[in-house]
Amino acid sequence: MSAIATAGLTKVYGRSRLPIRPPGHGASIVVRALEDLSIEVTDGEIFGFLGPNGAGKSTAIRLLLGFLHPTSGSATVLGLDAVRDSVEIRRRIGYLPGGIALYDSLTGERLLDYLVALTGRPPSRRAELCERLELPPETLRRLVRDYSRGMRQKIGIVQALQHDPELAILDEPTEGLDPLMQRAFYGILEDLRSAGRTIFFSSHVLSEVERVCDRVAIVRRGRLVAVEDVEALLARRKRNVEMRLTGPAPDLTGVAGVSGLIVTDGRLTCQLAGDMQEFLAAIAGAPIADLTIEPAHLEEAFLELYRDAEEIPA
Amino acid sequence: MNRALLAHTWRSQRLKLVVVCVGLAIWSALLPIVYGTFGQTFRSIIDSGLIPKQLMQFGGGDIFSLSGALALGAIHPISLILNSIFAAGFATSAVAGERQRGTLEVLLARPLSRQTVYVTLLVAVLGFVGIAVAASIVGAVIGAAIAGVSGELVPARLPFFWLNAVLLFGAIGAVGLAASVTFDRLTPAIGLTVGFTVVSYFLEVLGSLWPDAQGLQRYSVFHYFDAKQVLEGNVAAGNLAILAAVGVAAIAWALAVFPRRDLAAPS
Repeated sequence: MSAIATAGLTKVYGRSRLPIRPPGHGASIVVRALEDLSIEVTDGEIFGFLGPNGAGKSTAIRLLLGFLHPTSGSATVLGLDAVRDSVEIRRRIGYLPGGIALYDSLTGERLLDYLVALTGRPPSRRAELCERLELPPETLRRLVRDYSRGMRQKIGIVQALQHDPELAILDEPTEGLDPLMQRAFYGILEDLRSAGRTIFFSSHVLSEVERVCDRVAIVRRGRLVAVEDVEALLARRKRNVEMRLTGPAPDLTGVAGVSGLIVTDGRLTCQLAGDMQEFLAAIAGAPIADLTIEPAHLEEAFLELYRDAEEIPA
Repeated sequence: MNRALLAHTWRSQRLKLVVVCVGLAIWSALLPIVYGTFGQTFRSIIDSGLIPKQLMQFGGGDIFSLSGALALGAIHPISLILNSIFAAGFATSAVAGERQRGTLEVLLARPLSRQTVYVTLLVAVLGFVGIAVAASIVGAVIGAAIAGVSGELVPARLPFFWLNAVLLFGAIGAVGLAASVTFDRLTPAIGLTVGFTVVSYFLEVLGSLWPDAQGLQRYSVFHYFDAKQVLEGNVAAGNLAILAAVGVAAIAWALAVFPRRDLAAPS
């Protein structure tokens, strides 16, 4: 079963749903925040939702949660209609908003108690999450207003996951976490996946998507650019090649998979995609003093997709 | 209605509620004392013609009778400000304030419909208003006892005084809450609610001081809380119905608008 499925989901701002437009709601500019989004997130996977700021990630999440009403298209979450069954959906999911705001006048513990009481489910994972995110009881007894940004984010993660939801929708979850806590958080995600939970994870940090996600959807200017297995995306990525030479450079023109060839004083750089055999044959016997071949990060594969998407009319 | 949200709202407002109740009780206790101590003196001054009569009938109240003194206390700006802390202040910030701070996200991520959130906050507003008005009545009773004029107070009429005042400030609260669910920002919600309250108050007071402006009073919600008449046993069912209608109209607006609104990411 799909944890999340959208079909042609579209959100256009500037068309009022209200019977009368109240003062201050004079949105005359039409903004196509999300256009024709069709994705499917399967049960038990960690699904990355990637895109730069303003790409439509938060709009998509807010449509799934029922905060926004779609202009057209439909979405189901855990098999329930995102508009009609919004309350039931929110009973079964955990949500971490991007740049979460918390009730400053409460202690961390009271805040978590309050939010779990609103959810109506026991906080079965709270103790474990607090331990892994280094939120000891004495910290939880302090007022939220005294928390650093990282601590607020940790509380945000705990409130989203403490009731062990079937599906967690996390908007930029590692924002403000230090590298150690990021690692702890990735561990939590791995455990949730092992327990059969589904994670929908919005981010613009490619390295973390590369590290934890099974599949990734890339959005740009409100449109879906690609949905890929992270493994497949990484396999397709180009490798960066750099060699120092003590003599003439080997002729790599026309060699399959080679692009971006630059030869300067005793130094050759290029990108290499696909099978390496022809490339290795071409450089055999060349006067190479040093050779580095490193895999490009997901970032480069991502940018490649974006370059392709430039051709899509915005 | 959601009990956890109601309990949280109650806890977060209880200190403010205590301060408002004490303030209203003290203010309401002062009026019977002023009446008991200076009522006859002021009557002599007015009868001498030194001060225009209208100036001593501010907003339908006076200090020549206990009911007049309590009515004056109820319509006085001090009472208005104290009662508006919840009726206007809390109501307008209940949703728009949370939205502006970004905490509405966290609340609405729970399995609560927007109608449930609204109804819970409406119950909270009406509860706070009801308690505040009750505190002012308790203060008036204490003040009357201190001034030795308790005999002029008819206890059976006090529930109607309470009901009429709750309907007045409840209507203001319903308007405030309707503004709160309509706007993303606190400023326009406060502006609309304060504007409604202040204009309404101005029309009522103006009409009470200037006979030519009396026709404007019918456009004021304060006109439908005639405390002196209520305390003298003349409860006007029409007044109660008009205040209830204003409240119901505001509630209907909020229930139509809030669930249909798009709540975009806070900027």
